[in-house]
Formats: sequence, C-alpha cells, structure tokens
Amino acid sequence: MSMLLEVSGVSVSFDGFRAINNLSINFAPAELRAIIGPNGAGKTTFMDIVTGKTKPDEGSVIWGEQNASLLGMSESQIAMEGIGRKFQKPTVFEAQTVRQNLAMALKTPRNPFAVLMHKKTKPNAERIEAIALQIGLEDSLTRVAGELSHGQKQWLEIGMLLAQEPRLMLVDEPAAGMTPEEREKTTDILKEAAKTRAVVVVEHDMEFVRRLDCKVTVLHEGSVLAEGSLDHVTSNQTVIDVYLGRAHA
Amino acid sequence: MMQRSFLAQNPSVLWFISILAVFTVIVTLLSEVTGVDMISTSFVKTLGKTLCLCLVAIAMDVVWGYCGILSLGHFAFFGIGGYAIGMWLMYARTEGIVLESLAGQPIPATPAEISDAIGNQIFGVVGSSDFPMIWAFADNLFLQLLMVVLVPGTLALVFGWLAFRSRVTGVYLSILTQAMTLALALYLFQNDSGLRGNNGLSGLQNIPGYEGVSQATLSIVFFIASAVALGAGYVFFAWIVSGKMGSVVKGIRDNEARVRFLGYHVESYKLFIFTTTAVVAGIAGALYYPQAGIINPGEIAPIASIYLAVWVAIGGRGRLYGAVIGAAFVSLLSSWFTGGGAPNINLGFYVIQWTDWWLVLLGFSFVVVTLFFPKGIGGLFDMLVRKQS
Repeated sequence: MSMLLEVSGVSVSFDGFRAINNLSINFAPAELRAIIGPNGAGKTTFMDIVTGKTKPDEGSVIWGEQNASLLGMSESQIAMEGIGRKFQKPTVFEAQTVRQNLAMALKTPRNPFAVLMHKKTKPNAERIEAIALQIGLEDSLTRVAGELSHGQKQWLEIGMLLAQEPRLMLVDEPAAGMTPEEREKTTDILKEAAKTRAVVVVEHDMEFVRRLDCKVTVLHEGSVLAEGSLDHVTSNQTVIDVYLGRAHA
Repeated sequence: MMQRSFLAQNPSVLWFISILAVFTVIVTLLSEVTGVDMISTSFVKTLGKTLCLCLVAIAMDVVWGYCGILSLGHFAFFGIGGYAIGMWLMYARTEGIVLESLAGQPIPATPAEISDAIGNQIFGVVGSSDFPMIWAFADNLFLQLLMVVLVPGTLALVFGWLAFRSRVTGVYLSILTQAMTLALALYLFQNDSGLRGNNGLSGLQNIPGYEGVSQATLSIVFFIASAVALGAGYVFFAWIVSGKMGSVVKGIRDNEARVRFLGYHVESYKLFIFTTTAVVAGIAGALYYPQAGIINPGEIAPIASIYLAVWVAIGGRGRLYGAVIGAAFVSLLSSWFTGGGAPNINLGFYVIQWTDWWLVLLGFSFVVVTLFFPKGIGGLFDMLVRKQS
C-alpha cells in the first residue's frame, strides 16, 4: 500500500541541539497512530516540520499520491493540501462563537476575495451542525468559545480539524486535562475520524494510548526508537530504560 | 432562509447612519448658510474636520482593533491624501491668479512663461521655480484625485508586503511603521522635497473655480461631504469586519498561527486590511485639509499617528462606533482645552494652564483607560445592553 506521508532522513538542529536526528516515519492513508516519547524526544518538532513551521536541515517529506514535497510549501499551502493540526494547548478563537470557529475551519475557498464575498449556505450550515454533533457541542453553537470548558475547547479544536476535511490529522495531547469520561469520548471521536483518514496522536498518557488501541511509535532523541503495538514497544528493554523507566521512576 | 441581510445582522450600522444623518441636517440648518447662524462657519469647519478624523479613526480601528496590527503610520497616509489634493488646489488657484495678472498684457504670455510664473509663485518660498516630477499631474483634478487613493494605497501595499512577508509582528511592526512615518515627515521637511518644505501647502480653503462662493457655503459643502464619506466608510468597514472576513481578521488578531494552520494565507489578509485602511485614511485626509486650509509636514509627525491610536483606545477598540466616539470626543476636547476654552485653574502657588497641561491629562486618561477600561468608552454600551437583556 502506498503511503500518505513519508518522512525520511530528516534532521534539524537548533543552536547545535539536534532536535530531530535522521528521523524516518511513514503513515498510511487511513490509520490511527500514537507517537509517544519523553520530553524533548522531538514530538512537537516533528509536527512543526510536517506542517511547515520549521524547515529541516536535511531529509525529505513526501506527501500523497503525487509524491509532492512539503518542504517548499508554506503553512497555509500545507493545510490546504490536507494536513490539519491541533495544538497542545487548546487553541480556538475565544472571542467568537462555536459556529464561527467551525465555519472558519470549513473546507471552503481561502483567498481573501472569496472570503469577503462568502455567503452562508444550507449545506455548510448542515455540515457545521453535523460536526458539532460529532464533538458533542450541538447545543453550544451560539456560545462564545471562550466560555467553553477546557475539554469542550479541545473538542472544538478537533471539530475544526474535522471541518477542514484533512487527510492527515496531527493531534497534540488531545486528552490533557480531561476527565475520564471526556477522555473516553475523545477516544471515540479520534477512532471514528481514523476510519477515513490518517490520525496521528502525540500523547504522554500511556493509559490513553492503550485506549486508542493502535500502532505506536516511540521517539527518543529525535529518532524512532521502536514501533509496533503498545505491548510490543513497552516490552522493549531500551524503551523501558529511556521512557517508561523515567516515567515510572 | 439562512441569509439574513447585512443590516439586520448589524443594527449598530443603521443606528450610526441615522444619528449621523440627523446630526448633519441639524448642523446644516443651524449654520450661516440658512441664515440661522447659530453655528459659526469656523465651527462648521471644526465639525467637518472632526468627521474626517472619525473616518481615519475607524480605519485605524479596523487595522488595529480588528486585525491586531498597531500601525503608527495611518496618519501619514491621511497626510499623503491631504498633500495629493492640496497640490491640485494650490496649482489650480495659482494658475488662476497668474492668468488674471497676465491678462492685460499686449503680447500674450507663452505657456512656458505661464508655467514659470506659477512655479515662481508656488516654489519661490523655497527658492525655486521648477516644478518637481511629483507635480506632473497637479493641473488635472481627476488624476490628482486618483493620487489621493493610489499613493497611500501603493505605499501601504509595498510597505505591508515587505513587512508581513518577513513575519514582522507586534511591537516591531509598530516601530517599523513609525519609522516610515518619521522618514516621510523628515523628507517633507526638506526644502527640495518638492512640497515646499516646512511651509507645506496653504490656501487650501479656496476652491479653484468657486471663488465667488462664500466660505460659509463651502464649509457646509465639505461638512456634508465629510459626513457622507464617514457614513460610507462606516458601512464599508462594517461589511468587511462582519461575516467570514471578520472572523478571519479577528482570528488573525487573536491567534495568527492558528489561522495559518487552518489554511488561510495570513499575509494576504493583513495586506488587504492594511492597504484598504490606508486608502480610506488618504480619502479622509483629502477631505480634511481643504477644511483646515493648510498642510505641512508637522501634521504627519509620528505623534499624530500615536494620537490616532489613543483615540481608538479611549473610544474602544474592536468596535467601529467606539473609534468614532473616541476620535470625536478626544479631538473636540483637545481643541477646547488647547484653544483656551477651558478655564485655567489657579492653585495659589501654581496656575494650571490647560494649553500646557492638556497633554498630561490626555496621557493620564490613556493610562487609566488602558488599565481599568480596556474596552474604552464603547464598552459602556455593552454594559447598558447587558442590563437591558
């Protein structure tokens, strides 16, 4: 099966510190993947590289059937290619309503003129309502996003990702600060989304990763340390030493 | 039907237009023109100028309050608009005077002699008589009106493109825009800038071709024109900052990176807002200076752009009527205090003279508003509305 995203031999240094070191990692068109690793393993830098925020010193990032390189593209071009990103801290537009947040993310033309002339349509409104239902915010569409609880903001941001209709979703610590019930719902949303696209979850919380029940990639010092099922990687002695050993010390 | 009309979604626009219309009619009826003469011609000019300041203030509010770009260059665009129209006013009026003085001569003057005489009249004060390149279109009202829009627009487009593509934001961008403003003012102060150095352009209150029309009538014409421009500008910007464009623009203000990762090309949006508001600032300036009568480089000095930001902050950022209230309130109060309208306060050991102390008071109010009323005067409306509901 051809890959949706192929990251190969990527390295990047900040002031001499190698944040990513010869990293190679691939994602299939429809899969759920968890990326774990201790602090400073390069998880966020990896997302920065894929979304165009950081340019790597070497290596290649190849996207889609056309094998396009993402390295020459701007953040907005990459987003339009179909890569959505959720930040670690919930980042929604707090001054605007849930509906406005989702409407902004909806997959519609992005150039200023089209946006200026944009008219609300029934299909778009239905799409927004469908997404709101999916993330459990169907009753909060007219609420200002700043009033939402922490967990609801996380869902709204996931909803904004879904509205973008990306082929690859990069989700940074979606369960941080959530109650057990909220975590369960988050798991369901992500699993559902992964049926039709690639969903990559960066997570610290092993219990949440277990719930996701998917292939796990362990990052350490900027490269892949181990890959496979959670049981497989957690039984790997090096993983236990560098990550689990530290986490459970 | 999903689509509600633009005005139904923005009731404040209708309110604003109605109040502006009533205000315009009342001032016109009470002016010298109708014979009532309760409002003097000079005060009509002050009010007309204030309306122009309100227009540049809403432009500032859109670029700063909605898009988050604290530009300290918008009063420079305002001044450029004033210079552009001033060039035609001065040229056409001087041409009229020169032609009149040459009319009685037995040998008609050649076009070169006429041009020389006009040049002498305009540039004699800076020791020159040659028309600089930038005066190429000064004899043509239509082209010069085009300059009112094109010069600020092009400057904003080029400057904004350079700044935004390098991702210069926040205080660094403010400093950069202020540097642009300062450079422009310093350039204009030079005698060989082609715009009469620190003398600036004067006599702009005399409209060529309408010498027979009284200042009372002209002042009302410009007052109404300023009101129409403000109303149109208000509707235009209200349209821009509502709907999806408004969502994106406010999103850029609150979290630029998030908007970028949603797939919007943030730089294009900033450039669009920066340039559009600069053009409106230029138009406001072109209406202001014929009422002021004179423009000189001091008008463009960075402090003017800072005042503009202060007006918007005091009036309330992120709401268009806030900018109007701030500009009208502070600029009228300012002319009252500095014009000797406010009585001096004698403390016995010290006399507070408002011409000197007004700036202290303004600075103090700015600090108080920023610290305690971040929503400005406009925020009071929110409180009223909330109490009702």
